This record gives sequence, C-alpha cells and structure tokens, in this order.
Amino acid sequence: MGYRWHTGSVAWILHRLSGVALTFYLVLHIWVIHHIGQGPEAFNAIMAKVQTPLFKFLELGLLGTVLYHSFNGFRILLFDFGIGIRQQKQIFWGTVVVGLLVFAVSGYGMLSHILH
Amino acid sequence: MKYTFKVYRFNPETDDAPRYQTYEVDCEEGWTVLDALNYIKWYLDGSVSYRRSCRHEICGSCAVMMNGKNGLLCNTQVKDLGSKTITIEPLKGFPVLKDLIVDMDLFIERLKAVNPFFESSEPPTDREYYQSPEDRAIIDDAVNCILCGSCTGSCPSFWYNPDYLGPAALFKAFRFVYDSRDTAAAERLELVDDHNGLWRCHTIFNCMECCPKNLNITEGIQYLKRLAFMRKI
Ligand code: SF4
Repeated sequence: MGYRWHTGSVAWILHRLSGVALTFYLVLHIWVIHHIGQGPEAFNAIMAKVQTPLFKFLELGLLGTVLYHSFNGFRILLFDFGIGIRQQKQIFWGTVVVGLLVFAVSGYGMLSHILH
Repeated sequence: MKYTFKVYRFNPETDDAPRYQTYEVDCEEGWTVLDALNYIKWYLDGSVSYRRSCRHEICGSCAVMMNGKNGLLCNTQVKDLGSKTITIEPLKGFPVLKDLIVDMDLFIERLKAVNPFFESSEPPTDREYYQSPEDRAIIDDAVNCILCGSCTGSCPSFWYNPDYLGPAALFKAFRFVYDSRDTAAAERLELVDDHNGLWRCHTIFNCMECCPKNLNITEGIQYLKRLAFMRKI
C-alpha cells in the first residue's frame, strides 16, 4: 500500500508539476519570441501558428497553471514567515477558491475572445 | 466486531519478497490496533513480529503505517481507522529487519548529527538554570517529542533521500536552538543549514498529519530556516 495523500502532499505535488509545466512553457515562449530576430515574416509566420484555436485553449490551461503555482507559492511564502502553519489546509482551500474565481473571471474573458 | 488485518510479513534472511498475511479478529469495543496485533500474536500466529513497550504513547517504539498513514499502534483505536480491513505495514524509508520491525539506526544517526543535548558555556551554579514560563512556552511542543519516527518515516523528502536529516532531527535541533538556556545555537544552526538539512523540507506536512503527539513540527523547522537565512544577510 502506498502512503495516503493528504492536503499538504497534494498541494506539494501539484506545485512541482505546475512548476515543471511552466518551465516547458517558458522554453516554448522564448523559442517563439526568438523568431523576431529572423525578421518580420518569420515572426508573423510563427505567431499565426500559435494563434490557432488549439493554442488559445492551451492558453486557458496556462492560466490555470500560473494561477495555481502563484497562489500556492503565496501559501508557501506565508509558512516562511511562520504564519498559518496549523491552518495550512484551510489556507490551501482558500487559495483554491480565490484561484477558481480569478480563473472564472479571466477565463471567461479569454473564452469570449476565442469564440468571437 | 469483526475486522480483517492485513499484516506485512517479511524476513529478509529467508524470504525473497514481502507478502501480506490476513487475520480475522473479533475486536472488543475500545481496542487499539496494538490490542488486535497482540491478539494475533498470542492466539493466532506467534511468528508475527513488531515492537511495543509502554503501550501508552510515551516510549515511541510501536510506530508503523496503518492504512497508509503512520502512527502508534498503542494510541490508534481500531474503529477510528474507519474501515473493516486494516493494513499494517512497517515505516517507509527504513530497512525492514522483520515484519513490522525496521532498523532505526539511520534515524538515530540523523538525530545525533544535530547534537541533541543541552549545551551551556555558563559555569554551573548550585541552582537550576532559570527559564521563564514565556521562554519555555516556545519549546513546549518540541520537548514533547517521543522520537517515534512516524514523522521522518512519512516524509517524501526522506524516502527519496535518506541523507536528509528528517523532521524529527530538525525538530530536535529547534528544541535546543530555541531553548533560552542553551548557548550552542550558532553551532547547531551550522549543522542543519544544509541542502540535506533545513532546505530539504518542502512543507509537505505529512509529518504533522501523522505525529501521534500532534506537535507543530513544521513551525519549528520554518523558524530554523528563518534564523539560518537571517544570519546570512
Ligand atoms: S515529532 Fe511527533 S512523529 Fe516525530 S518523532 Fe516526535 S513524536 Fe514522533
């Protein structure tokens, strides 16, 4: 039997996974942007590729990943100041709720932009 | 009430691989998992091996993993585990000697590495070393640690890197660094300010989730991290 998952360990593993995902995104982002050095045509060509609906939907995933990583990062910062250690679970669920609200509001904006 | 106990069995000297053996036990109201294991050992199968001594949560010898979470056999009631089948396994991260008994040498070595004893450069007087109630309150939790190893055996950072000091040793370091009478804080901080010390704690909280004494381990470690950081700036 494996060790049981708890709020703290789930928060930790998600933080790791979102961190790895964001690193990949960063590499992709730099790769896309570096086309600018090859002149306007090359840059426009790559921009056209990453503006397809598929990438737009992936951007929603990016938003979720960034939100989770930053909100949970904030939670970890609190612990570094010795705040809320006994309340780590409540703080986790608090950040999930706030994160989902921010996701809903900004996700709605992005989605309506995609669909129009 | 009838419960099924799935007990981890392994003798490294004769077995190729661990296996689980199942026992049916009719538990009485109020039985702890230790009572059930004693019943198994005394009446069903004398070969089952586990550690226990005081049976009232102070010796720290009966720490195991029950249904995927560490804790003491003696202070965990069978019915509180909330299932009819109870899986009992040794602490993760330590070599198994036999069945539920693990080799705790690693744990003791990590503990020794933080100089877990009171040190004072002040000459002894004929009175006790005075400590105010406020100063004592800071280490109230930490002095209650019974060194059962549940926390260290629950920590993913320790499972994947046995060189890590682990929560119990770091909490012991906190206990002395924050003891107002101890004068060796700087040396002790030096010992834990390391990538295999403080900085391998990623605030996963498995330790606090399972500590049978419900101690605020992570807070102690975070305090040490802050102190280690502050002395460098
Ligand atoms: S801190 Fe808690 S879990 Fe860890 S050794 Fe001490 S009593 Fe056991």
